Amino acid sequence: MDMDATPRFTDQLYAAARPLWDAQLAHPFVRGIADGSLAPQTFANWVRQDYLYLKEFARVFAWAAAKATRLESMSWYAKLLDLTLNVEMGLHRSYAERFDVTPDELERERAWPTTRAYTDFLVRTAADGDLADLVAALLPCAWGYAYIAERMAAAGLPADARYAAWIAMYASPEFAAARDWLIEEMERLAAGTSAEKRARLTELFVLSSRYEWAFWEMCWRGERWPEPENAAG
Amino acid sequence: MGFAADQLQRLRPLWEQMLAHRFLIQTRDGTIAPATFATWMRQDYLFVEAAIPFLSAMLPRAPRAHWGPLTEVVAMLQKELVLFQERAAAVGVSLRDVEPAFVNHAYVQFLMATAYQASYAEVYTVLYAAEKCYHDSWTVVKQGLDTTSPWYPFVENWAGEGFAQYVAYLEAELDGLAALAGPAERARMATLFELTVKYEIAFWEMAATGEQWPALPASAAPAA
Repeated sequence: MDMDATPRFTDQLYAAARPLWDAQLAHPFVRGIADGSLAPQTFANWVRQDYLYLKEFARVFAWAAAKATRLESMSWYAKLLDLTLNVEMGLHRSYAERFDVTPDELERERAWPTTRAYTDFLVRTAADGDLADLVAALLPCAWGYAYIAERMAAAGLPADARYAAWIAMYASPEFAAARDWLIEEMERLAAGTSAEKRARLTELFVLSSRYEWAFWEMCWRGERWPEPENAAG
Repeated sequence: MGFAADQLQRLRPLWEQMLAHRFLIQTRDGTIAPATFATWMRQDYLFVEAAIPFLSAMLPRAPRAHWGPLTEVVAMLQKELVLFQERAAAVGVSLRDVEPAFVNHAYVQFLMATAYQASYAEVYTVLYAAEKCYHDSWTVVKQGLDTTSPWYPFVENWAGEGFAQYVAYLEAELDGLAALAGPAERARMATLFELTVKYEIAFWEMAATGEQWPALPASAAPAA
């Protein structure tokens, strides 16, 4: 390592979030995908809730396109918005059917508390933060998924083709390219900012990483909103 | 029957569950553990702080007639913060360096995301529902709490006549906004009303249990 080189801000983000990403890798839900042992009905929790997450994630890209000042960035966010809404969500609907979750069920699904909290956090940050805040909040999804999927793929794909496809998608060069672009965008946006601003960006980045872990936990354990006790069954 | 009354009737079982929450009952009966009440106080202080940007985010889309009342609510929230500071000091509870519990964080993100994305009538629904929850909840506490309790000023604040009039004003305005809304918007308002009540119940539960964030493995837990 070049000792004279200025440390990259995203290296600091990586160091701050890595324990949370390693905890994701060790989570029983994620381990179950990696070795193929996860019960399909449990994985279906992720399929349903992630569909709702994607809708709001797309909205965040729309905010990003509106807030970007560089044409290249605007174009890139617009492309991601299009890909999320018009390609990835379609693929998600097809993929869901492999777990017996129909498109109608996906559309009727209601957000569980953690999904709601995470997506509200993203949308709120996109709305009242600047573009650097927004990217700090959305980057852990792309970076964290690539982090765990690349390690899963390196350890060997499971026999269940559905889980193997999941790992292959998030460990793909295309996904890595999107992650890498976002990392460079984060570097550009953080360049020349104050220590206070960088602390705020780190806080957002770690918070999203915590939500990522909480999302796996939600899918693993299931979650519910408070309901009238006499109707809870 | 107005929109607000319709919703209160529709959500009656959930509402009664909230009013029967053990946090309220134990506070009313004077049996609540001081540490439990302190948890609520520390978390709700953060929530009141966060409610000020929420009210402020409502203003750009508010009708002119609401500007005055909404800014008065902001001033009222500032006074509530002072009330918290005084009560906390009186019982030796620190309000500094408090991290929002998961439910608190989630509720605040819900408020802000709604303020930025939903229609004015929808956001107003959330404001009314939250304030009505608080008025009714503290009215339960008022029915038994000793007036010499250090917590009684909270009762005076939220179960008093002034707050009752404020909630009644919000209700009348909400009914007016709902009358102008189409069926799709009213349906979204009803959903947000219900979600607000659920967040309020979850908040009492968080205060009662001291629940923070979903428990991370020790290796990944953020530094205290």
